[in-house]
Amino acid sequence: MPKHIVRLITLIAAVLVVAVVAPQLLTAKSFYRFGHYRANAVPEIAAKEPVYQTPRYCYGCHTERRAQWSAGSHKTVTCEVCHGPAQGHPQNGKLPIPTDTVRLCTQCHEAMPGRPHTQPQIQVAEHSGGQQCTVCHNPHSPKIAAAITKVSGNAAAGKQQAAACASCHGSEGTSPNDTWPNLAGQNAAYLARILAAYKSGDQTDPIMTPLAHALSDSEVQDLAAYFGSLGCKATNRGKTAGDAAAGAAMAKNCTACHGEGGRGANPAWPKLAAQKPGYVVNALKAFRAGLRKDPMMANVARGLSDSDIANLAAYYAVQSCPATK
Amino acid sequence: MKNDDQPSLSARRAFLAKLGGAATCAGAAVGAAALGVMPSVAAKTEPAADGASFPTKDYDWTKHQWGFGVDATKCIGCLRCVEACKAENDVPRNAHQFRTWVERYVHLEGGDQVHIDSQQDPVNIEASGSETTFRFANRYKDAKVYKAFFVPKLCNHCTHPSCVQVCPTGATFRTEDGVVLVDETYCIGCRYCVQACPYGARFFNEEKHVADKCTWCYHRITKGLQPACVEVCPVGARIFGDQKDKQSPISLFIRNNRVQVLKAEMGNAPNVYYVGIDKEVN
Repeated sequence: MPKHIVRLITLIAAVLVVAVVAPQLLTAKSFYRFGHYRANAVPEIAAKEPVYQTPRYCYGCHTERRAQWSAGSHKTVTCEVCHGPAQGHPQNGKLPIPTDTVRLCTQCHEAMPGRPHTQPQIQVAEHSGGQQCTVCHNPHSPKIAAAITKVSGNAAAGKQQAAACASCHGSEGTSPNDTWPNLAGQNAAYLARILAAYKSGDQTDPIMTPLAHALSDSEVQDLAAYFGSLGCKATNRGKTAGDAAAGAAMAKNCTACHGEGGRGANPAWPKLAAQKPGYVVNALKAFRAGLRKDPMMANVARGLSDSDIANLAAYYAVQSCPATK
Repeated sequence: MKNDDQPSLSARRAFLAKLGGAATCAGAAVGAAALGVMPSVAAKTEPAADGASFPTKDYDWTKHQWGFGVDATKCIGCLRCVEACKAENDVPRNAHQFRTWVERYVHLEGGDQVHIDSQQDPVNIEASGSETTFRFANRYKDAKVYKAFFVPKLCNHCTHPSCVQVCPTGATFRTEDGVVLVDETYCIGCRYCVQACPYGARFFNEEKHVADKCTWCYHRITKGLQPACVEVCPVGARIFGDQKDKQSPISLFIRNNRVQVLKAEMGNAPNVYYVGIDKEVN
């Protein structure tokens, strides 16, 4: 065979060999297993570890929080939305507890055009006066309970029932002693809620429990309506154990629910102005000890010392009653 | 022309034919010898598993066909999904690269145009105070808003993805279970796919020098979890599930709502289904 033909054959053969061998050597083995891509990329991508762990992971330890959270209106907001991804927790330490709750909560709850009407929204500047949301709201169950503010009772019928209350709470709902609370002018919805709690056993008191048991549901409403309709005449004179000026500074944290000077306008929460200081002290200590159960007050009272409590009681004792009715 | 042209021509033809035959034989022989087991080039129809499931031992991709739903009537624009996606998927922590994002559409009273912004708008970045956390500025607080709503966006994981069609290296592909993925080791960073996507769902990851996009959290869904954005959405605006399971959240979402896809006219056949969006959303 002529030399130039041999060269040509050799060249063509070499090209063919390269054309066949090179792709085999350079293409990943799993390429074309399913299509024009490297099949092994799929298990590689699938192998990454999840960063967000889901609430089920959190339940493992935080059973108490779970019970509270899953019963509340935030049950669709999972743990990691606020606390961040739980990968590496608890081995690598605690997850953050948000401190700037105004910033966090308004991310969803700031009134904003575009948010659906079903979303609870607030005017941030007017809602809390710059206080942290957690002062009043439990982030794990944020809806403020006992939002029932209507009392269906008949004040005249309640007046007849109220004779039985006079020995402790005074004939006109103004208590003659330091231990029992004034009831005159108190928010009726609050009175109805507490009386119903004594009746149901949610709240207990050696004296109030048997009395409340004897009442029917409509009598509870009547009594609440009656005391709510009375004018508040209470004044506290004489010395109190606490320092009212120090209490005034602390009471700023209470205004969102109990109002300025305890003259609360929100019917779900008690007015505290001119309330008996001994009663306020006992109530706060009961919240602190967990004897009186209220998720919000438990949070608030947890951080109070005995002298804080005395100061708060002194402050509210000297406030004048709201001029209603 | 000479008379001996004819014989010489047929001789040449015969020679070339022989040469071709020889080369084919040689090529086949060399190929077979070079690779004892040479995977067939036309293996697209090969079953997913030879006994074992693919891609992981607990997950068989032939049994699923994923789909995603967005209920824009529920979205509150809190951007938890955007932050969760960044954390879950190592998306660069800056204010201009996102695998998922949220757009706000605002019609003002008396105006005839729609104002659109997303979390990466400078005004919104300023409201968030950093480039790693996101929030919508309340910029229309004092305006007379006629109509406004939020729309979460992400990769549509199209049945006929333009990005896959244009990729020159096979670095992006659609899996059997309906997810469009990027093979980072094969991506050469040509950005052709970023240009090709009609939805702007892709971006170029400057840290890894590869094209980047939503994977529907493939590492989560293959473990039985929800994508991170679905997991954290506090209002249930994002719905995810298996379209092969007729009782899955996405199947129920599609069946119980009048759904639409974005830019249906492009022919990409997206797999993200929307409820509650206007014609301006695309």
